[in-house]
Amino acid sequence: MLREKTHALRVAAAFVAVFVLAGCNGGTVDRHALTNDAGTIDSINCEAWLVSDGAARDRVTTAYTRVQSKALALQASNLADALAHRPTAAGLERRTRAKARAAATLAARLRALHAHPTDRPAARTLSERFKRAGGCA
Amino acid sequence: MSKLLNLALGILAAIGGFVDIGDLVFNTAAGATFGYQLMWVIPIGVVGIIVYSEMSGRVAAVSGKAVFDTVRERTGFSAGLGALLASEVVNLLTLAAEIGGIAIALQLLTDLSYRVLLLLAVVALAVVLWTLHLEWIERLFGYGGLCLLVFAVAAVKLSPDWVKVGAGFVPHISQNDPWLYLYFAIGLLGAAMTPYEVYFYSSGGIEDGWTTKEIGLNRANAIVGYALGGFLSLALMMVGASVFLKHGIEPEHLGTIPLGAQEPLGKIALLLGIVGILFAVGGAAIDTVFSGAYNLAQFFGWEWGRYRHPAGAPRFSVTWIVLLLCALAIVLTGVDPIMVTEYAVIFSAVALPLTYIPILLVANDPEYMGANRNGTLANVLGVVYLVVIMVVAVTAIPLLLITNVGQS
Repeated sequence: MLREKTHALRVAAAFVAVFVLAGCNGGTVDRHALTNDAGTIDSINCEAWLVSDGAARDRVTTAYTRVQSKALALQASNLADALAHRPTAAGLERRTRAKARAAATLAARLRALHAHPTDRPAARTLSERFKRAGGCA
Repeated sequence: MSKLLNLALGILAAIGGFVDIGDLVFNTAAGATFGYQLMWVIPIGVVGIIVYSEMSGRVAAVSGKAVFDTVRERTGFSAGLGALLASEVVNLLTLAAEIGGIAIALQLLTDLSYRVLLLLAVVALAVVLWTLHLEWIERLFGYGGLCLLVFAVAAVKLSPDWVKVGAGFVPHISQNDPWLYLYFAIGLLGAAMTPYEVYFYSSGGIEDGWTTKEIGLNRANAIVGYALGGFLSLALMMVGASVFLKHGIEPEHLGTIPLGAQEPLGKIALLLGIVGILFAVGGAAIDTVFSGAYNLAQFFGWEWGRYRHPAGAPRFSVTWIVLLLCALAIVLTGVDPIMVTEYAVIFSAVALPLTYIPILLVANDPEYMGANRNGTLANVLGVVYLVVIMVVAVTAIPLLLITNVGQS
């Protein structure tokens, strides 16, 4: 019985170790992390473009626009916080903080879409901004 | 005629019930990241789940024993307990992810609070589980899941480059970020070969009173149902490639996926996509919660089964209620269901050999199976997939770590 318990504890410890190791995502912003985060900001911009374009052309529901823009705003806002406060590798501080500002702007625009999901002219304007900011194809 | 109709209805339900949150997440993300390059993994995964399910269904029909009966009998208590623990952890993670998925789909339809919808989802699942007959549960969620066919229509409507689609079926390694590519390949295999589907399938066979007369039906159900269900996975990957890769979107939310149907087809397609996701993850939640209860009851020799009144199998009934509550507790912590899904799929790939190997051994045992033991084809496929499963199990966690859970 003791051996079974030990085995079970080892399995549990292995699971915890994998969660902890895989979850380590903080620390210093290096070139690779900055490239990834910049890619994520572009991705959120492009998704926001599709959602706001759908809202502008009445091709998505109001509930969908509100829920999805809120989820994307939260993601952008978390990214903005992380990029604004995490330490950076040498020579990357200016670019990192610029990306933090871009993410914060993105979050603010998404919150505007969330607040006015049925305002089609506003959605059209936001859609153009998202598309330009994300360099979306 | 009635038998044929039943078979057709069962297959329809299987198509709609094939996709779960792991398939939705991994297939769409794989398409969004690597285009059509990983199409070849889906048929390999589908044949794998057919081989595994057919064997376990045949063992159930011949011996009247489901997977965890067989595992305990073949491996003994200690080794069997390890397999049970691993399976229950993976089942619980999967259940938590599916419940989170139900709440997200409901939220996309109603804009109500996510936490309120989590509670509502668990209560609704409990009511359905307590009151509906198993056959009706399967059909309700299976037919609802057919709304996912909107992704197949979208995939065609998006006019993909069919030459590139065809080339995607040729196995190869991508030169662009090969570790991430391998992570997705492992994830797609894990998502297609989720063990809970097999536990549910073989236990369901016993609940339906399968005997050796149903071996043909078992084979037809496994082959046709899973193969057609695999087309939904292909459609999701194609939509991922045609919409999300094209626009540079990494789909990190469940709500992103229906945009893939909305883009070519409009608002109705968006709604059908969300409803399809709702029924697919709802059906998978039911399969998962029952699998967890089946496994525990079979391993410890308790009374089990949906055809008994809950009072006739009290420990089985208490188990599924406790599993629902544990899964609810996990998602109420605020953990992202998509992240839970990724861990669940990768860990299920790791745990897969623990139940696959005993089933393969028993299915090939002439004393146990008599004339219904594995034939040459079943044995060749069984051994080939044993190698595939072992490779997947050994590499899954290193790839999870190397790619930082697919972030790379």
